[in-house]
Amino acid sequence: MALQTEALDAFRHRIARDEKRGMRTDVVVYASAAMLAQISQDLALEQAVNVATLPGIVGPSLAMPDIHQGYGFPIGGVAATDWDHGVVSPGGVGFDINCGVRGAATSLTESEVRPKLRELVDQVFRDVPCGAGADGPLRVSGKQLDEVLETGARWAVENGYGMERDLEYCEAAGCLAEADPAAVSARAKERGLPQLATLGSGNHFLEIQYVEKIHDPKAARVMGIEEGQVVVLIHCGSRGLGHQVCTDYLGQMGPAMKRYGIWIPDRQLACVPIQSPEGQAYLGAMRAAANFAWANRQAMLHYVRGAFQKTFSRSVRIDLIYDVCHNIAKRERHTVEGRKVDVLVHRKGATRAFPPGHRDLPQAYRAIGQPVLIPGSMGTASWILTGAQGAMRETFGSVCHGAGRLLSRTAARKGRDARQVRNQLEEAGIIVKAESRDGILEEVPEAYKDVDEVIEVVHQAGLARKVARLRPMGVIKG
Amino acid sequence: MFEILEHTADIGLRAWGATLQEAFENAATALSAIVVELDDIDPRIAYPIAASGDDDQSLLVNWLDEALYYLDARRIVLRRFRIEHFGDGRVAGQAWGEPRDPLKHRPKVIVKGVTYHQLKIEQRPDGWQVQVFLDI
Repeated sequence: MALQTEALDAFRHRIARDEKRGMRTDVVVYASAAMLAQISQDLALEQAVNVATLPGIVGPSLAMPDIHQGYGFPIGGVAATDWDHGVVSPGGVGFDINCGVRGAATSLTESEVRPKLRELVDQVFRDVPCGAGADGPLRVSGKQLDEVLETGARWAVENGYGMERDLEYCEAAGCLAEADPAAVSARAKERGLPQLATLGSGNHFLEIQYVEKIHDPKAARVMGIEEGQVVVLIHCGSRGLGHQVCTDYLGQMGPAMKRYGIWIPDRQLACVPIQSPEGQAYLGAMRAAANFAWANRQAMLHYVRGAFQKTFSRSVRIDLIYDVCHNIAKRERHTVEGRKVDVLVHRKGATRAFPPGHRDLPQAYRAIGQPVLIPGSMGTASWILTGAQGAMRETFGSVCHGAGRLLSRTAARKGRDARQVRNQLEEAGIIVKAESRDGILEEVPEAYKDVDEVIEVVHQAGLARKVARLRPMGVIKG
Repeated sequence: MFEILEHTADIGLRAWGATLQEAFENAATALSAIVVELDDIDPRIAYPIAASGDDDQSLLVNWLDEALYYLDARRIVLRRFRIEHFGDGRVAGQAWGEPRDPLKHRPKVIVKGVTYHQLKIEQRPDGWQVQVFLDI
């Protein structure tokens, strides 16, 4: 049965609650009409409908313009559940817990970096391990790993991988409280132990970019960026540790769900009450995995700083702009129909986008709103936005997370040659260094939606504001 | 016998067997083939492998999770799987492979997890077919 969508305005579409499908609420999709037609081609909207069946869901099941088919939840999906009476679903966070983006501004300009770009890319590639099976440069013991799981980015800073200032410029200061290392299985720890400070593969990347255009000079000034300036973007998550936490708890929740009498249409959406022992254990483990991801991105920034110093043989300042997560479930207080409620906001491929004035933001950003980092595909552009009041009113302070995939990996590889793609990118001024040839082919720009269209929707809908468009110069991939 | 399936952000596998047990063995081989080039693996060491589940679906997911654990955490690449016990919610057997050598075993993709998304286990006139999608 095809899903009926109804246009609310140019950028909002609704799938009305249908009790026959077990829906407890509406689905609201943020997209242009053209994008909606494309979105409807896979199972993404079906999955957003399934999310609407979660017990205790508050407000609509939300779909961002970069939505595409995921596992259980669509990627680009947001759902808030009542903290006291709702459920938590590991599928609403995903396998890559706290996959996120860290953006840092360097004290160099594009013209200063260009002549040494190849050298810089090679140095970063040497210093930050990526790809399948790469071991991290950072060896930790089992006891130290527990400290990482409890304290996140702070662990990295206290052990010499960064500076105190970095912590202030991370979502949640780079550490979720109430993380429970004991809720993380021995197997998850074993999988994660050698992977600290590694990039991973797939769509994860490390890019050297320059600011092509500033759209909001005031916000850009506060963030310390101007046109022509070189920035670094790191996109990765909690590696095997987070993947195993998700696997472990999905396995436990299937049988637990039966005990709690919960029915859901897709087993990958398995969920339990937040206030159940299983729910609390998952959240403790998920927070620990999130902290691992923050320590991971923090240590990687440290190695990137080192690579810049080595390449330019002089002091280069690299200041963190912000670090956001886009696969997470967080307890937050939101106003729903005029009432303040405590909810668990699941953001699966969605970024927090708190508006100006929000008390959870660092002092420096209170006036402009939270920086939101949106990585684009390999050869195109990335964006820096700020959260806007619309996100707080409509989407539990959330916005999109990327361009959104369009082609399968096979389709992306088909008829393309890695050398040819590399040459085309080099002609466009982009140097790519990847662990595998497939990694380059599968992430070709044509495999993704147009990131600018995605950004236009969230900007026009009032969820976030454009601040700067970034263009890649050097790409490091797994 | 198996094939690799793809759709947008997904990668999946479809495996067949005269028995369900054989389809499970082939599904694990397919998972290995997604992670690493099978021909590069010398199946010189036998490793024990076992899983349990509440039903056939969770048994299959948990069985593949075990194979993934070897590949991603233990850093052991596996080429052949043989199930010696199959039934009562439990599957157990052996897998043959060797420790991963980054120079010899060209990595392909990192599989994050095994999902229940569009998971299918079907009995057909000529045997069994299973379908599983993986998050990569």
